[in-house]
Amino acid sequence: MTSASSVSIVPPGVSVRAWLASAAREYTFVFSLVLTIALVIANTVVLPSFASWSQIPGELGTLAPFALAAMASTPAILVGGGGIDLSIAPLMGLSNVVLVIALLPHGLGNPAIAVPLLLLLGGLIGAINGVLVAVLRYPPVIATLAVYFVLGGIDLRLAPNPVNSYPHWTAELATSLWHVPGTVLTVGVVLLCWFFFRRTAYYGSLLAVGDDDVAAFSAGVDVAAVRILAYALGGVLAAVGGIALTGTIQSADITVWPSFVLIALAAVALGGTALGGGRGGFLGSALGATAVYLIQTLLAALGVDVFYVQVAFGAVLLVAVVAGSQLGRTSPMWREARG
Amino acid sequence: MIADYTRPLIARTQETQRRFPLLQIVALIALFLWGTLSLPAFAQRSSIDSMLVLASFLGIAAAGQTVVILIGGIDLSVPSIITGGNLMTTLLGGKHWSFGAIVAVILGTAALVGAVNGYLAHHHGVPALIITLGSGSVVVGSVLAGTHASVYGSVPGWFTRFVSPASTVAGLHVPQVVVLWIVLTLVIGVVLHLTGIGRRLYATGANERAAQLALVRTELVWVGAFATSAVFSAITGILLGAWSGTGEQSIGDPYLFLSIAAVIVGGTSLIGARGDYWRTVLGSLILIVLTTNLVGHSYSEATQQIVLGLIILAVVGTYGRDRALRDRI
Repeated sequence: MTSASSVSIVPPGVSVRAWLASAAREYTFVFSLVLTIALVIANTVVLPSFASWSQIPGELGTLAPFALAAMASTPAILVGGGGIDLSIAPLMGLSNVVLVIALLPHGLGNPAIAVPLLLLLGGLIGAINGVLVAVLRYPPVIATLAVYFVLGGIDLRLAPNPVNSYPHWTAELATSLWHVPGTVLTVGVVLLCWFFFRRTAYYGSLLAVGDDDVAAFSAGVDVAAVRILAYALGGVLAAVGGIALTGTIQSADITVWPSFVLIALAAVALGGTALGGGRGGFLGSALGATAVYLIQTLLAALGVDVFYVQVAFGAVLLVAVVAGSQLGRTSPMWREARG
Repeated sequence: MIADYTRPLIARTQETQRRFPLLQIVALIALFLWGTLSLPAFAQRSSIDSMLVLASFLGIAAAGQTVVILIGGIDLSVPSIITGGNLMTTLLGGKHWSFGAIVAVILGTAALVGAVNGYLAHHHGVPALIITLGSGSVVVGSVLAGTHASVYGSVPGWFTRFVSPASTVAGLHVPQVVVLWIVLTLVIGVVLHLTGIGRRLYATGANERAAQLALVRTELVWVGAFATSAVFSAITGILLGAWSGTGEQSIGDPYLFLSIAAVIVGGTSLIGARGDYWRTVLGSLILIVLTTNLVGHSYSEATQQIVLGLIILAVVGTYGRDRALRDRI
């Protein structure tokens, strides 16, 4: 199958399959992008009002916490070493609870004060995860599972029952702010930061450590610092996610965050980030979360029983990761090892 | 290796701990004494029986998780299959199926789902975490859609007695489900340590490439391990059907992380091939005795969760930390 014609974008002498594989490795988000576009079209066909200007801000507002949960889960996975952060969802819950219960009623609700405080809190808790993993050498699943339980307990202690908040600025994040969907501020700013972030030296270290931590260590990279920073970054994004969540629910409600735990991981996998680390990015995770959200809205618009949404979500996830592995997207080392 | 007494005490304790779960046994005895001395009804027969029944639910669900973790995988479909088994039990029981047929259908379906998990994860090199997450979602969605989540079935009376803490076996005052757990523990112990299946399992977990060179069909090991895990989860679901009497669509949820917690508190390493089922039995007993203590001292659910998190860190800190990077070059 090397008969690439002269107009083909496939370089001569490279099989189409190999080219696709290398393209998929380079642009890990392509699958989720195609899926998202297809789902947007399907949603619009089924329910034309889906794409109307009045609907979009609200839809994006509902999507924002999912997208941020997925993006927050990404750095820990990218940095490798079996990296994963199960504590992202309860940290979003904590950010939500602290904002509504502690900051807003005590005169600290002004975004100029509340947002930095919450981001700092998220970053600190993320850094604790990072220290547990990188310095104390706990396996990431165990360290973040322990933090998951501790944060879940703290959430439950702070807000055993839902607490409604009086109207405040986060409502605009879930709808519109000067005719701009509020999600542009939350998800959009994070994505913009990501594009600048990709130009930094730290980004290179992050991927190097994720790809092969021993090699990076031998090359003089401070692996522990890179890992701690990656988990801290996830924590900061989880705090942003908690703020976006507050926007949609306008209360402190700890029954919401558990639904983000698994969906965030699924969205990261859908977005093409390799779970072994070293490959992927925020854009893929945001698109993966969007695809998950669009599957839900599409099936709801079709009047499908809500339980089939779970079936469809699971099936899409399985098909996506298996198809991805066919393109050599997940863990090529695994294949080498199996000869 | 001959014990080197010049090494520090901590290193020697860790060495012992790797071979024998001393810390877990001490912790279990300490927790039990704490309860006995501080709570009046703690050491009564009925209370101990209840703890044993609850521990057997957790222990059986964590049995499959142990097998999967031993080969280096993880199974997140445990709660979904528990819920599925639970709903199917009450639904089919309400339709007056014979109990044998119900169990056969549920365990057969579970084994199939588990086998698919193992195959997809191994054959396509996709992390088991994601595969089991997806398949669990498909399973629980299908069962809920099929039953419309409204399960007003019933289970046979003898089966309700089977999981009752007050039940007896041959005149002995032991809950019947606990006897089932003991039998399963013995069977798993024999299979893991005295059969070729067990040796293949540990070989696959320790080094898959080496196992393949030793002509172990590792794909079959993965398929078998995940099928086993799903079957144990389904058994827990069926037992919980008898315990609660009705189907509940969230009954499996707590077992997602509790089954993993039981394995790691027991001392089986997530890296694979290091550990054993009887450690998980200890882990399950520790978690249940701890929870009973905390509930007895009327600590809130919130405190229980925080304590659980800290205990996981404390226990794993003694045995399960990764090697330092400088030692891996």
